[in-house]
Amino acid sequence: MFNENAEVILEANHITRKFPAAGGKTLLANNDISLKLYKGKTLGLVGESGCGKSTFMRFLVMLDKPTEGEILFQGKDLTKLKGEELRQFRRHIQMVFQDPANSFNPKLRIRDIVCEPLMNFGLITKEEKDAKCRELLEMVELPGDFADRYPHNMSGGQRQRVAIARALALHPEILILDEATSALDVSVQKTVIDLVTKLQREKGITIGFICHDIALVASCAHQVAVMYLGNLVEVLPGDELHTRAVHPYTKALMGSIFDINMDFSKPIESIDSEAPSPLDVPAGCPFANRCDSCMEICKTERPVMTDYAPDHQVACHLFKNSSL
Amino acid sequence: MLKFNNVTISYGNNPTVKDFSLHVEQGQVVSLVGESGSGKTTVIRAALGLLPGGGKVTDGDILYNGKSVLTLSDAQWRKMRGTEISMIFQDSGAMMNPTKKVGDVFVEYLQTHEKISKKDAWNKGIMMLEKMRLPSGDNIMRSYPFQLSGGMRQRVGIAMGMTYSPKLLLADEPTSALDVTTQAQIVRQMMALRDVYGTSIIVVTHNLGVAAYMSDYIVVMKHGVIEDQGDRDHILHHSENEYTRKLLEAVPSLGGERYV
Ligand SMILES: Nc1ncnc2c1ncn2[C@@H]1O[C@H](COP(=O)(O)OP(=O)(O)O)[C@@H](O)[C@H]1O
Ligand SMILES: Nc1ncnc2c1ncn2[C@@H]1O[C@H](COP(=O)(O)OP(=O)(O)O)[C@@H](O)[C@H]1O
Ligand code: SF4
Ligand SMILES: [Mg+2]
Ligand SMILES: [Mg+2]
Repeated sequence: MFNENAEVILEANHITRKFPAAGGKTLLANNDISLKLYKGKTLGLVGESGCGKSTFMRFLVMLDKPTEGEILFQGKDLTKLKGEELRQFRRHIQMVFQDPANSFNPKLRIRDIVCEPLMNFGLITKEEKDAKCRELLEMVELPGDFADRYPHNMSGGQRQRVAIARALALHPEILILDEATSALDVSVQKTVIDLVTKLQREKGITIGFICHDIALVASCAHQVAVMYLGNLVEVLPGDELHTRAVHPYTKALMGSIFDINMDFSKPIESIDSEAPSPLDVPAGCPFANRCDSCMEICKTERPVMTDYAPDHQVACHLFKNSSL
Repeated sequence: MLKFNNVTISYGNNPTVKDFSLHVEQGQVVSLVGESGSGKTTVIRAALGLLPGGGKVTDGDILYNGKSVLTLSDAQWRKMRGTEISMIFQDSGAMMNPTKKVGDVFVEYLQTHEKISKKDAWNKGIMMLEKMRLPSGDNIMRSYPFQLSGGMRQRVGIAMGMTYSPKLLLADEPTSALDVTTQAQIVRQMMALRDVYGTSIIVVTHNLGVAAYMSDYIVVMKHGVIEDQGDRDHILHHSENEYTRKLLEAVPSLGGERYV
């Protein structure tokens, strides 16, 4: 059990986010999501594009507020914070995005980019910037001299290291990586993941890792949460994903991976139909129209997350009466 | 059927792809893998006569069924593309005129390749979409590209490219912008072309899993040159090339190495 002695650092309860859409419709981006982050552990959030992963993580870094639900962290509900208190709380939870090129001001040198959060909080003086920047760059295994460069004079992998250095400058308890390695070549991706997991071990940082690559998530998350169409469908330990996942969608995701170690004589599995629009989420199970095991009840009643095994929850009518 | 003989391709005065040689047989699937900037797109575009501005084959030759394609006129290319050789890009939707309905684009495409009435072309379009397992083809024909998902646009692109059962399909990162379940659908459809029509396929992909699944033969590129090549089994299991090994080891695998 991965969380036997792990301490809950953040708890999201019944998070729902509705976006108003054209024609008076409502887009249900997150539907009643409850998740826990454990200190020093990684929660991997996986699912196909548009399923609501970024929407959820944005609440944790306070870039958006849910329509319903609470997020408890250090005794406060993050969704209720305002003004100076909110500003101070931002220090604790930082985020790195897919393409750092877009999140950096191209006119600033790396020194100014990396030290900006520290300057904003008045934690260092102008004179201390250079030394601090070098220290942070070395932490992410970049040469200190990169402080003088501009972002466009670096490779994608180097820019992503700079983004990590900047995010860690404030010593956050939680680091959110939103597809932070998805645009990188595989060998570069591997070096960034190696770095992040090393920093996690050294500093005990809690990580929220959004990624659409279920094999990558499985390899670097202690806990994996699978989302589909705004709903959580399964949560289980990362090292059990491959052998113990039971939700038909989780299994479909795993079945459609092209793995270099797969049996090439077997045709790849794939779900032929399209996912429904998030504007028209079906009344029952969100996966009902694509599920081979769909039953009558699935079309009318939404399955809720239920304990299935230790550290393993699933939302599927097939697994209601588990042996727990 | 397609031969690259010691081809060098340059942008301006910069030789970008150097001394590239490859023979693709009828019905064979070959993949070009390698990291970004290694020259994969450049190679595949050269074979279609579609190098972007400033790009030129400066040495060697590319032969299609024994004839050099380097001297083809624009008119000859137009005839070849679509009927003999077809291409799929990363986002077929982005290639479509966003102000035109998918059906109008499809009809126009058919009418450049054959004498066909608008009505017959429309119906042929629907038939092709349904062959690509796109249900309600009529609905799709009446949609604008932005109203379709990335996966559907990609299948429309493939449907168009497949109309004349080309003998050679060139696909540049055809599934890279797609979700995994959609990627699996597209790969299955490309493989069906090979199996049903004997179409040869050259696929460019940075996804080694996709390359491994699809290909008979794999070419590993690095900095514009072929670093390693061989049949699938050789590349995956027997290659002693350090770069190939490094790429393969970096691919995450379910049940494989864990970082935590
Ligand atoms: N600010 C917004 N306004 C309206 N719709 C949004 C907004 N942000 C996200 N969405 C919609 O919410 C759904 C979930 O999006 P997102 O969380 O970005 O998905 P993911 O990160 O899993 O790809 C999508 O359908 C998206 O279009
Ligand atoms: N239109 C162009 N003009 C000049 N250089 C180019 C052009 N297109 C590509 N290149 C350069 O050629 C090299 C190979 O690019 P490309 O074939 O796109 O690689 P890949 O597809 O493997 O990522 C890169 O260094 C790239 O910068
Ligand atoms: S609840 Fe029903 S439709 Fe949904 S995943 Fe389970 S079996 Fe399939
Ligand atoms: Mg996202
Ligand atoms: Mg390319």
